[in-house]
Amino acid sequence: MQIALLYGTETGNAEMLAEDIAAHLSDHDASVTNLSDFDPADFDTDTFYIVVCSTYGDGELPASAQPFAEKMEAQKPSLDGIRFAVFGMGDSEYPETYNFGGKRMEELLAGAGAELVGERVTHNASGDDMADDLALPWVDDILAQADA
Amino acid sequence: MVSIAILGTGPSGCFTAQALVKALPDARIDMIDALPVPYGLIRYGVAADHQGTKAVIRQFERLFERSDVRFFGNVRVGSDIALDDLTGMYDAVVMAFGLRTDRCLGIPGEGLAGVYGSGQVTGAWNDMPGVEPAQIGKRVVVIGNGNVAVDLIRVLAKGPEEFHGSDLSLAHTQALMAAGVERIDVVGRSPADQAKFDPVMLRELGRLTQARISVQGAEGEGKLIEALQGIDGHAPEGATREIAFRFGWTPEALDGTDHVTAARFRRGDEQLTLPCDTVLTAIGFTGDTPATDDAGAVSPGLYATGWYRRGPRGTIPENRADAQQVAARIAADLAGTATTKPGRDALSARVPQAVTYAQWQAIDAAERAACPADRCRQKLTTTEQMLATARQTGDL
Repeated sequence: MQIALLYGTETGNAEMLAEDIAAHLSDHDASVTNLSDFDPADFDTDTFYIVVCSTYGDGELPASAQPFAEKMEAQKPSLDGIRFAVFGMGDSEYPETYNFGGKRMEELLAGAGAELVGERVTHNASGDDMADDLALPWVDDILAQADA
Repeated sequence: MVSIAILGTGPSGCFTAQALVKALPDARIDMIDALPVPYGLIRYGVAADHQGTKAVIRQFERLFERSDVRFFGNVRVGSDIALDDLTGMYDAVVMAFGLRTDRCLGIPGEGLAGVYGSGQVTGAWNDMPGVEPAQIGKRVVVIGNGNVAVDLIRVLAKGPEEFHGSDLSLAHTQALMAAGVERIDVVGRSPADQAKFDPVMLRELGRLTQARISVQGAEGEGKLIEALQGIDGHAPEGATREIAFRFGWTPEALDGTDHVTAARFRRGDEQLTLPCDTVLTAIGFTGDTPATDDAGAVSPGLYATGWYRRGPRGTIPENRADAQQVAARIAADLAGTATTKPGRDALSARVPQAVTYAQWQAIDAAERAACPADRCRQKLTTTEQMLATARQTGDL
Protein backbone atom coordinates (compact mmCIF):
# COMPACT_ATOMS: atom_id res chain seq x y z
CA MET A 1 0.00 0.00 0.00
CA GLN A 2 1.38 3.37 -1.03
CA ILE A 3 1.23 5.91 1.81
CA ALA A 4 1.27 9.67 1.44
CA LEU A 5 1.60 12.10 4.33
CA LEU A 6 -0.04 15.47 3.70
CA TYR A 7 0.62 18.20 6.21
CA GLY A 8 -0.90 21.58 6.92
CA THR A 9 1.34 23.72 9.08
CA GLU A 10 1.84 27.24 10.36
CA THR A 11 4.83 27.03 12.70
CA GLY A 12 6.32 23.77 11.42
CA ASN A 13 5.14 21.45 14.21
CA ALA A 14 2.82 19.48 11.89
CA GLU A 15 5.53 19.29 9.24
CA MET A 16 7.95 17.79 11.73
CA LEU A 17 5.39 15.25 12.88
CA ALA A 18 4.59 14.27 9.27
CA GLU A 19 8.29 13.67 8.67
CA ASP A 20 8.52 11.61 11.84
CA ILE A 21 5.56 9.48 10.80
CA ALA A 22 7.11 8.94 7.35
CA ALA A 23 10.40 7.90 8.99
CA HIS A 24 8.45 5.52 11.23
CA LEU A 25 6.85 4.04 8.08
CA SER A 26 10.15 3.66 6.27
CA ASP A 27 9.10 0.17 5.10
CA HIS A 28 6.31 1.79 3.12
CA ASP A 29 8.44 4.44 1.45
CA ALA A 30 5.87 7.05 2.49
CA SER A 31 5.96 10.42 0.77
CA VAL A 32 5.64 13.71 2.66
CA THR A 33 3.95 16.66 0.94
CA ASN A 34 2.98 20.12 2.11
CA LEU A 35 -0.74 20.67 1.45
CA SER A 36 0.25 23.96 -0.18
CA ASP A 37 1.94 21.89 -2.90
CA PHE A 38 -0.86 19.35 -3.32
CA ASP A 39 -3.70 19.56 -5.83
CA PRO A 40 -6.98 17.69 -5.23
CA ALA A 41 -6.64 16.31 -8.79
CA ASP A 42 -3.58 14.39 -7.55
CA PHE A 43 -5.60 12.11 -5.24
CA ASP A 44 -5.10 8.50 -6.21
CA THR A 45 -7.19 5.53 -5.05
CA ASP A 46 -4.11 3.28 -4.74
CA THR A 47 -2.66 5.57 -2.08
CA PHE A 48 -3.62 5.82 1.57
CA TYR A 49 -3.48 9.42 2.82
CA ILE A 50 -2.49 10.46 6.31
CA VAL A 51 -3.29 14.11 6.92
CA VAL A 52 -1.44 15.90 9.74
CA CYS A 53 -2.95 19.30 10.32
CA SER A 54 -2.64 21.99 12.97
CA THR A 55 -5.07 24.76 13.89
CA TYR A 56 -4.23 28.39 13.79
CA GLY A 57 -5.57 31.83 14.61
CA ASP A 58 -9.25 31.81 15.28
CA GLY A 59 -9.80 28.13 14.59
CA GLU A 60 -8.70 28.42 11.01
CA LEU A 61 -6.74 26.04 8.88
CA PRO A 62 -3.02 26.75 9.06
CA ALA A 63 -1.53 28.85 6.25
CA SER A 64 -0.12 25.92 4.30
CA ALA A 65 -3.53 24.13 4.18
CA GLN A 66 -5.54 27.13 3.04
CA PRO A 67 -4.67 26.96 -0.69
CA PHE A 68 -5.71 23.29 -0.65
CA ALA A 69 -9.05 24.13 0.97
CA GLU A 70 -9.64 26.82 -1.65
CA LYS A 71 -8.89 24.35 -4.45
CA MET A 72 -11.27 21.81 -2.90
CA GLU A 73 -14.02 24.45 -2.82
CA ALA A 74 -13.31 25.53 -6.40
CA GLN A 75 -12.83 22.10 -7.99
CA LYS A 76 -15.39 20.16 -5.95
CA PRO A 77 -13.67 16.89 -6.85
CA SER A 78 -15.24 13.51 -6.22
CA LEU A 79 -13.00 11.59 -3.83
CA ASP A 80 -14.94 8.32 -3.99
CA GLY A 81 -12.59 5.45 -3.30
CA ILE A 82 -10.01 7.63 -1.55
CA ARG A 83 -9.18 6.51 1.97
CA PHE A 84 -7.58 8.77 4.56
CA ALA A 85 -6.89 9.34 8.23
CA VAL A 86 -6.47 12.61 10.10
CA PHE A 87 -4.13 13.47 12.93
CA GLY A 88 -4.94 16.90 14.31
CA MET A 89 -2.82 19.22 16.38
CA GLY A 90 -4.35 21.70 18.76
CA ASP A 91 -3.81 23.63 21.95
CA SER A 92 -6.28 23.24 24.79
CA GLU A 93 -5.44 26.79 25.90
CA TYR A 94 -7.94 27.69 23.19
CA PRO A 95 -10.87 25.36 23.90
CA GLU A 96 -13.41 27.08 21.63
CA THR A 97 -11.38 26.26 18.54
CA TYR A 98 -9.47 23.22 19.76
CA ASN A 99 -8.40 21.11 16.77
CA PHE A 100 -10.66 22.88 14.29
CA GLY A 101 -7.91 22.41 11.65
CA GLY A 102 -8.02 18.61 11.80
CA LYS A 103 -11.80 18.64 11.99
CA ARG A 104 -12.03 20.92 8.96
CA MET A 105 -9.71 18.64 6.94
CA GLU A 106 -11.87 15.66 7.79
CA GLU A 107 -14.99 17.57 6.69
CA LEU A 108 -13.35 18.67 3.44
CA LEU A 109 -12.27 15.18 2.43
CA ALA A 110 -15.21 13.19 3.76
CA GLY A 111 -17.56 15.80 2.31
CA ALA A 112 -16.08 15.07 -1.13
CA GLY A 113 -16.73 11.35 -0.71
CA ALA A 114 -13.46 10.10 0.73
CA GLU A 115 -13.58 7.48 3.48
CA LEU A 116 -12.15 8.24 6.93
CA VAL A 117 -10.29 5.26 8.33
CA GLY A 118 -10.10 4.95 12.10
CA GLU A 119 -10.60 7.80 14.49
CA ARG A 120 -9.34 11.32 14.11
CA VAL A 121 -7.20 12.08 17.15
CA THR A 122 -5.65 15.28 18.36
CA HIS A 123 -2.40 16.12 20.02
CA ASN A 124 -2.65 18.87 22.63
CA ALA A 125 0.33 21.23 22.54
CA SER A 126 -0.38 22.23 26.14
CA GLY A 127 -0.53 18.62 27.32
CA ASP A 128 2.25 16.47 28.68
CA ASP A 129 2.50 14.00 25.79
CA MET A 130 4.92 14.37 22.94
CA ALA A 131 3.15 14.37 19.57
CA ASP A 132 5.21 11.41 18.36
CA ASP A 133 4.27 9.30 21.38
CA LEU A 134 0.62 9.72 20.47
CA ALA A 135 0.93 9.67 16.68
CA LEU A 136 3.18 6.68 16.02
CA PRO A 137 1.04 4.05 17.83
CA TRP A 138 -2.03 5.69 16.26
CA VAL A 139 -0.52 5.32 12.79
CA ASP A 140 0.27 1.63 13.37
CA ASP A 141 -3.31 1.08 14.46
CA ILE A 142 -4.72 3.04 11.50
CA LEU A 143 -2.62 1.09 9.00
CA ALA A 144 -3.78 -2.19 10.51
CA GLN A 145 -7.36 -1.03 9.95
CA ALA A 146 -6.59 0.20 6.44
CA ASP A 147 -5.03 -3.15 5.50
CA ALA A 148 -7.94 -5.13 6.89
CA MET B 1 31.05 21.84 2.91
CA VAL B 2 30.13 25.43 3.74
CA SER B 3 30.17 26.96 7.21
CA ILE B 4 27.36 29.22 8.38
CA ALA B 5 27.07 31.17 11.63
CA ILE B 6 23.69 32.31 12.95
CA LEU B 7 23.80 35.03 15.60
CA GLY B 8 20.83 34.64 17.90
CA THR B 9 18.94 31.47 18.80
CA GLY B 10 15.42 32.85 19.08
CA PRO B 11 12.67 31.73 16.72
CA SER B 12 14.08 33.58 13.72
CA GLY B 13 17.57 32.21 14.14
CA CYS B 14 16.29 28.67 14.72
CA PHE B 15 13.87 28.75 11.79
CA THR B 16 16.71 30.03 9.60
CA ALA B 17 18.86 27.11 10.73
CA GLN B 18 16.00 24.70 10.07
CA ALA B 19 15.52 26.01 6.51
CA LEU B 20 19.28 25.94 5.88
CA VAL B 21 19.54 22.34 7.05
CA LYS B 22 16.95 21.42 4.42
CA ALA B 23 18.39 23.60 1.66
CA LEU B 24 22.06 22.79 2.32
CA PRO B 25 22.16 19.36 4.00
CA ASP B 26 25.97 19.34 4.04
CA ALA B 27 26.36 22.76 5.62
CA ARG B 28 27.94 23.05 9.05
CA ILE B 29 25.90 25.51 11.08
CA ASP B 30 26.92 27.20 14.33
CA MET B 31 24.40 29.11 16.42
CA ILE B 32 25.68 31.76 18.80
CA ASP B 33 23.78 33.29 21.70
CA ALA B 34 24.83 35.89 24.27
CA LEU B 35 22.98 33.92 26.97
CA PRO B 36 24.07 30.45 28.13
CA VAL B 37 20.64 29.15 27.07
CA PRO B 38 18.96 28.98 23.66
CA TYR B 39 15.59 29.96 22.15
CA GLY B 40 15.42 33.70 22.88
CA LEU B 41 11.89 35.06 22.96
CA ILE B 42 10.34 31.59 22.95
CA ARG B 43 11.84 31.18 26.40
CA TYR B 44 11.81 34.82 27.52
CA GLY B 45 9.00 36.51 25.58
CA VAL B 46 6.17 34.00 25.10
CA ALA B 47 4.02 34.16 28.22
CA ALA B 48 4.70 31.64 30.99
CA ASP B 49 1.12 30.35 30.77
CA HIS B 50 1.33 29.70 27.01
CA GLN B 51 3.36 26.50 27.10
CA GLY B 52 1.66 25.26 23.92
CA THR B 53 3.24 28.12 22.00
CA LYS B 54 6.61 27.32 23.52
CA ALA B 55 6.28 23.75 22.21
CA VAL B 56 7.83 24.94 18.94
CA ILE B 57 11.11 24.39 20.81
CA ARG B 58 10.72 20.67 20.10
CA GLN B 59 11.42 21.44 16.44
CA PHE B 60 14.54 23.35 17.34
CA GLU B 61 15.89 20.58 19.57
CA ARG B 62 16.03 18.45 16.43
CA LEU B 63 18.50 20.85 14.88
CA PHE B 64 21.03 20.27 17.61
CA GLU B 65 20.24 16.60 18.14
CA ARG B 66 19.99 15.33 14.56
CA SER B 67 21.73 17.81 12.27
CA ASP B 68 25.19 19.31 12.06
CA VAL B 69 24.09 22.34 14.05
CA ARG B 70 26.05 23.37 17.16
CA PHE B 71 25.08 25.69 19.99
CA PHE B 72 27.61 28.24 21.24
CA GLY B 73 25.97 29.89 24.26
CA ASN B 74 27.44 32.54 26.52
CA VAL B 75 29.17 34.21 23.55
CA ARG B 76 28.56 37.93 23.03
CA VAL B 77 29.10 39.20 19.53
CA GLY B 78 30.94 42.49 19.82
CA SER B 79 32.75 41.77 23.08
CA ASP B 80 33.70 38.07 23.03
CA ILE B 81 34.11 38.04 19.26
CA ALA B 82 33.77 40.76 16.65
CA LEU B 83 31.29 40.53 13.81
CA ASP B 84 34.17 41.07 11.36
CA ASP B 85 35.98 38.08 12.82
CA LEU B 86 32.89 35.94 12.25
CA THR B 87 32.45 37.06 8.65
CA GLY B 88 36.10 36.13 8.15
CA MET B 89 35.60 32.67 9.63
CA TYR B 90 32.30 31.72 7.95
CA ASP B 91 30.97 31.56 4.40
CA ALA B 92 27.75 33.17 5.58
CA VAL B 93 26.78 34.96 8.77
CA VAL B 94 23.12 35.55 9.63
CA MET B 95 22.18 38.18 12.18
CA ALA B 96 19.04 37.14 14.07
CA PHE B 97 19.50 39.38 17.09
CA GLY B 98 15.87 40.40 17.38
CA LEU B 99 14.84 43.73 18.89
CA ARG B 100 14.65 44.12 22.62
CA THR B 101 14.27 47.81 23.43
CA ASP B 102 10.78 48.81 24.49
CA ARG B 103 9.42 51.57 22.29
CA CYS B 104 8.70 54.81 24.14
CA LEU B 105 5.40 56.68 24.20
CA GLY B 106 7.22 59.98 23.82
CA ILE B 107 5.04 61.79 26.36
CA PRO B 108 5.85 63.65 29.61
CA GLY B 109 6.19 61.51 32.71
CA GLU B 110 7.51 58.37 31.05
CA GLY B 111 10.52 58.39 33.35
CA LEU B 112 8.43 58.24 36.53
CA ALA B 113 8.74 55.27 38.85
CA GLY B 114 5.99 52.73 38.23
CA VAL B 115 6.17 53.01 34.42
CA TYR B 116 7.50 49.96 32.59
CA GLY B 117 7.78 48.64 29.06
CA SER B 118 6.31 45.25 28.22
CA GLY B 119 9.67 43.77 27.25
CA GLN B 120 11.02 44.38 30.73
CA VAL B 121 7.86 43.11 32.42
CA THR B 122 7.51 39.91 30.42
CA GLY B 123 11.28 39.34 30.43
CA ALA B 124 11.31 39.54 34.24
CA TRP B 125 8.23 37.29 34.61
CA ASN B 126 10.07 34.82 32.38
CA ASP B 127 13.18 35.04 34.61
CA MET B 128 15.41 36.56 31.96
CA PRO B 129 18.83 37.13 33.55
CA GLY B 130 19.56 40.74 34.43
CA VAL B 131 16.00 42.01 33.97
CA GLU B 132 14.59 43.83 36.99
CA PRO B 133 11.01 42.87 37.85
CA ALA B 134 8.35 45.58 37.69
CA GLN B 135 6.84 46.73 41.00
CA ILE B 136 3.17 46.16 40.27
CA GLY B 137 0.58 48.13 42.23
CA LYS B 138 -3.18 47.88 42.69
CA ARG B 139 -4.30 50.08 39.78
CA VAL B 140 -2.57 49.30 36.53
CA VAL B 141 -2.96 51.10 33.21
CA VAL B 142 -1.93 49.02 30.19
CA ILE B 143 -1.31 51.10 27.07
CA GLY B 144 -1.39 49.12 23.85
CA ASN B 145 -3.81 47.13 21.72
CA GLY B 146 -1.85 44.07 20.69
CA ASN B 147 -1.33 40.52 21.90
CA VAL B 148 1.54 41.54 24.17
CA ALA B 149 -0.91 43.77 26.03
CA VAL B 150 -3.25 40.78 26.38
CA ASP B 151 -0.40 38.70 27.81
CA LEU B 152 0.22 41.41 30.43
CA ILE B 153 -3.48 41.71 31.30
CA ARG B 154 -3.90 37.96 31.64
CA VAL B 155 -0.93 37.46 33.93
CA LEU B 156 -1.97 40.46 36.05
CA ALA B 157 -5.54 39.21 36.32
CA LYS B 158 -5.01 35.54 37.09
CA GLY B 159 -5.35 33.99 40.49
CA PRO B 160 -2.64 31.65 41.78
CA GLU B 161 -4.34 28.42 40.68
CA GLU B 162 -4.66 29.76 37.14
CA PHE B 163 -0.92 29.41 36.70
CA HIS B 164 -0.91 25.64 37.15
CA GLY B 165 1.09 23.98 34.41
CA SER B 166 2.95 27.19 33.56
CA ASP B 167 6.55 28.06 34.31
CA LEU B 168 5.80 31.29 36.15
CA SER B 169 7.99 30.96 39.23
CA LEU B 170 6.40 30.76 42.66
CA ALA B 171 8.35 33.91 43.59
CA HIS B 172 6.72 35.88 40.75
CA THR B 173 3.35 34.32 41.51
CA GLN B 174 3.61 35.38 45.16
CA ALA B 175 4.77 38.88 44.19
CA LEU B 176 1.78 39.26 41.86
CA MET B 177 -0.66 38.06 44.51
CA ALA B 178 0.96 40.34 47.10
CA ALA B 179 0.54 43.28 44.72
CA GLY B 180 -3.21 42.65 44.89
CA VAL B 181 -4.12 44.10 41.51
CA GLU B 182 -7.65 45.52 41.73
CA ARG B 183 -8.10 47.31 38.45
CA ILE B 184 -6.55 47.06 34.99
CA ASP B 185 -7.43 49.83 32.54
CA VAL B 186 -6.52 48.91 28.98
CA VAL B 187 -6.27 51.86 26.64
CA GLY B 188 -5.58 51.88 22.92
CA ARG B 189 -5.01 54.67 20.48
CA SER B 190 -6.98 53.19 17.60
CA PRO B 191 -10.70 52.44 17.43
CA ALA B 192 -11.77 48.96 18.51
CA ASP B 193 -12.10 47.55 15.00
CA GLN B 194 -8.49 48.51 14.25
CA ALA B 195 -6.97 47.06 17.40
CA LYS B 196 -4.28 44.43 16.85
CA PHE B 197 -5.56 41.84 19.33
CA ASP B 198 -6.10 38.33 18.02
CA PRO B 199 -9.72 37.39 18.78
CA VAL B 200 -8.57 34.06 20.19
CA MET B 201 -6.37 35.88 22.73
CA LEU B 202 -9.29 38.06 23.82
CA ARG B 203 -11.58 35.08 24.25
CA GLU B 204 -8.97 33.54 26.53
CA LEU B 205 -9.58 36.50 28.87
CA GLY B 206 -13.21 35.44 28.99
CA ARG B 207 -12.11 32.35 30.95
CA LEU B 208 -10.41 34.29 33.75
CA THR B 209 -11.85 33.22 37.08
CA GLN B 210 -10.92 36.27 39.17
CA ALA B 211 -11.68 39.21 36.91
CA ARG B 212 -14.72 41.09 35.66
CA ILE B 213 -14.37 42.61 32.20
CA SER B 214 -16.00 45.67 30.67
CA VAL B 215 -15.47 46.97 27.13
CA GLN B 216 -16.34 50.48 25.99
CA GLY B 217 -16.73 51.30 22.33
CA ALA B 218 -16.67 47.83 20.78
CA GLU B 219 -18.62 49.03 17.78
CA GLY B 220 -18.32 47.78 14.25
CA GLU B 221 -18.16 44.38 12.65
CA GLY B 222 -15.87 41.43 12.40
CA LYS B 223 -14.36 38.74 14.55
CA LEU B 224 -12.39 41.17 16.68
CA ILE B 225 -15.49 43.18 17.59
CA GLU B 226 -17.42 39.96 18.25
CA ALA B 227 -14.64 38.79 20.55
CA LEU B 228 -14.65 42.10 22.42
CA GLN B 229 -18.43 42.01 22.75
CA GLY B 230 -18.16 38.40 23.86
CA ILE B 231 -15.95 39.21 26.86
CA ASP B 232 -17.80 42.41 27.79
CA GLY B 233 -19.72 41.70 30.99
CA HIS B 234 -17.66 38.67 31.97
CA ALA B 235 -18.35 38.44 35.70
CA PRO B 236 -17.16 35.32 37.50
CA GLU B 237 -18.48 34.85 41.00
CA GLY B 238 -16.20 36.29 43.67
CA ALA B 239 -14.09 38.27 41.21
CA THR B 240 -11.55 40.52 42.88
CA ARG B 241 -10.28 42.44 39.86
CA GLU B 242 -11.73 44.67 37.15
CA ILE B 243 -10.49 44.89 33.58
CA ALA B 244 -11.77 47.83 31.50
CA PHE B 245 -11.05 48.26 27.79
CA ARG B 246 -11.24 51.69 26.12
CA PHE B 247 -10.46 52.60 22.52
CA GLY B 248 -9.48 55.65 20.51
CA TRP B 249 -7.58 57.44 23.29
CA THR B 250 -4.19 59.02 22.57
CA PRO B 251 -1.82 59.09 25.56
CA GLU B 252 -0.91 62.66 26.52
CA ALA B 253 0.99 62.57 29.80
CA LEU B 254 1.74 60.53 32.87
CA ASP B 255 1.31 62.51 36.09
CA GLY B 256 3.22 62.21 39.35
CA THR B 257 6.13 63.73 41.23
CA ASP B 258 8.34 60.71 41.80
CA HIS B 259 5.91 57.88 41.16
CA VAL B 260 3.17 57.77 38.56
CA THR B 261 -0.26 58.70 39.96
CA ALA B 262 -2.37 59.05 36.81
CA ALA B 263 -2.35 58.55 33.06
CA ARG B 264 -3.98 61.20 30.88
CA PHE B 265 -5.46 60.65 27.41
CA ARG B 266 -7.24 62.68 24.75
CA ARG B 267 -9.83 61.73 22.14
CA GLY B 268 -10.71 64.74 20.02
CA ASP B 269 -11.94 67.32 22.54
CA GLU B 270 -12.52 64.75 25.26
CA GLN B 271 -10.04 64.13 28.04
CA LEU B 272 -9.62 61.06 30.21
CA THR B 273 -7.63 60.80 33.42
CA LEU B 274 -7.08 57.36 34.91
CA PRO B 275 -5.66 57.32 38.45
CA CYS B 276 -3.08 54.56 38.75
CA ASP B 277 0.09 53.46 40.48
CA THR B 278 1.50 51.40 37.60
CA VAL B 279 1.66 52.00 33.85
CA LEU B 280 2.70 49.22 31.49
CA THR B 281 3.29 50.09 27.86
CA ALA B 282 2.90 47.41 25.20
CA ILE B 283 3.46 49.42 22.04
CA GLY B 284 6.21 47.44 20.40
CA PHE B 285 9.97 47.22 20.31
CA THR B 286 12.67 49.22 18.64
CA GLY B 287 16.35 49.23 17.82
CA ASP B 288 18.71 49.82 14.94
CA THR B 289 18.26 47.47 12.02
CA PRO B 290 20.62 47.14 9.06
CA ALA B 291 19.70 47.99 5.49
CA THR B 292 19.06 44.78 3.56
CA ASP B 293 17.85 43.87 0.11
CA ASP B 294 14.54 42.08 -0.45
CA ALA B 295 15.94 38.71 0.57
CA GLY B 296 17.79 39.79 3.70
CA ALA B 297 21.33 40.31 2.35
CA VAL B 298 23.28 43.11 4.05
CA SER B 299 26.60 42.71 2.23
CA PRO B 300 28.35 39.73 0.61
CA GLY B 301 28.28 36.91 3.14
CA LEU B 302 26.24 38.85 5.72
CA TYR B 303 22.48 38.53 6.17
CA ALA B 304 19.74 39.58 8.56
CA THR B 305 16.48 37.82 9.46
CA GLY B 306 13.44 38.15 11.67
CA TRP B 307 12.67 41.27 13.68
CA TYR B 308 16.26 42.41 13.27
CA ARG B 309 15.62 42.54 9.54
CA ARG B 310 12.01 43.63 9.23
CA GLY B 311 11.34 45.47 12.44
CA PRO B 312 9.20 44.28 15.36
CA ARG B 313 6.26 42.99 13.37
CA GLY B 314 4.88 39.56 12.95
CA THR B 315 4.34 36.51 15.06
CA ILE B 316 6.25 33.24 15.09
CA PRO B 317 4.85 31.93 11.75
CA GLU B 318 5.64 35.16 9.93
CA ASN B 319 9.21 35.00 11.14
CA ARG B 320 9.38 31.40 9.97
CA ALA B 321 8.38 32.45 6.47
CA ASP B 322 10.96 35.25 6.58
CA ALA B 323 13.65 32.86 7.75
CA GLN B 324 12.86 30.47 4.89
CA GLN B 325 13.24 33.31 2.41
CA VAL B 326 16.61 34.37 3.82
CA ALA B 327 17.78 30.74 3.87
CA ALA B 328 16.82 30.30 0.21
CA ARG B 329 18.85 33.41 -0.64
CA ILE B 330 21.87 32.09 1.28
CA ALA B 331 21.58 28.68 -0.40
CA ALA B 332 21.52 30.37 -3.81
CA ASP B 333 24.49 32.60 -2.95
CA LEU B 334 26.53 29.65 -1.66
CA ALA B 335 25.73 27.30 -4.52
CA GLY B 336 29.00 25.94 -5.88
CA THR B 337 31.10 27.68 -3.21
CA ALA B 338 34.41 25.93 -2.59
CA THR B 339 35.03 27.03 0.95
CA THR B 340 38.34 27.73 2.56
CA LYS B 341 36.79 29.20 5.70
CA PRO B 342 37.78 27.57 9.00
CA GLY B 343 34.30 27.95 10.56
CA ARG B 344 33.65 25.91 13.68
CA ASP B 345 37.26 25.03 14.50
CA ALA B 346 38.25 28.68 14.54
CA LEU B 347 35.22 29.69 16.59
CA SER B 348 35.77 26.93 19.16
CA ALA B 349 39.36 28.10 19.62
CA ARG B 350 38.27 31.70 20.09
CA VAL B 351 35.45 31.12 22.58
CA PRO B 352 36.46 28.32 24.96
CA GLN B 353 33.84 29.62 27.43
CA ALA B 354 31.01 28.69 25.07
CA VAL B 355 28.18 26.66 26.55
CA THR B 356 27.48 23.54 24.48
CA TYR B 357 24.13 21.99 23.67
CA ALA B 358 24.88 19.10 26.06
CA GLN B 359 25.48 21.66 28.79
CA TRP B 360 22.20 23.40 27.94
CA GLN B 361 20.52 20.00 28.24
CA ALA B 362 21.94 19.77 31.76
CA ILE B 363 20.50 23.20 32.58
CA ASP B 364 17.17 22.15 31.04
CA ALA B 365 17.11 18.95 33.07
CA ALA B 366 17.96 20.84 36.27
CA GLU B 367 15.15 23.32 35.64
CA ARG B 368 12.61 20.57 35.03
CA ALA B 369 13.77 18.57 38.03
CA ALA B 370 13.65 21.52 40.41
CA CYS B 371 10.14 22.66 39.67
CA PRO B 372 7.20 22.50 42.09
CA ALA B 373 4.33 20.10 41.44
CA ASP B 374 2.05 22.55 39.66
CA ARG B 375 4.73 24.07 37.45
CA CYS B 376 6.48 22.58 34.41
CA ARG B 377 9.82 24.28 35.02
CA GLN B 378 11.71 26.40 37.52
CA LYS B 379 14.13 28.47 35.47
CA LEU B 380 17.61 29.25 36.66
CA THR B 381 17.50 33.01 37.03
CA THR B 382 21.12 34.15 36.68
CA THR B 383 23.84 33.44 34.16
CA GLU B 384 26.08 32.46 37.10
CA GLN B 385 23.66 29.70 38.11
CA MET B 386 23.41 28.56 34.50
CA LEU B 387 27.16 28.46 34.04
CA ALA B 388 27.64 26.62 37.32
CA THR B 389 25.15 23.96 36.22
CA ALA B 390 26.75 23.79 32.77
CA ARG B 391 30.19 23.33 34.31
CA GLN B 392 29.02 20.17 36.06
CA THR B 393 28.64 18.73 32.56
CA GLY B 394 32.03 18.79 30.89
CA ASP B 395 34.66 21.47 30.85
CA LEU B 396 33.88 25.11 30.50
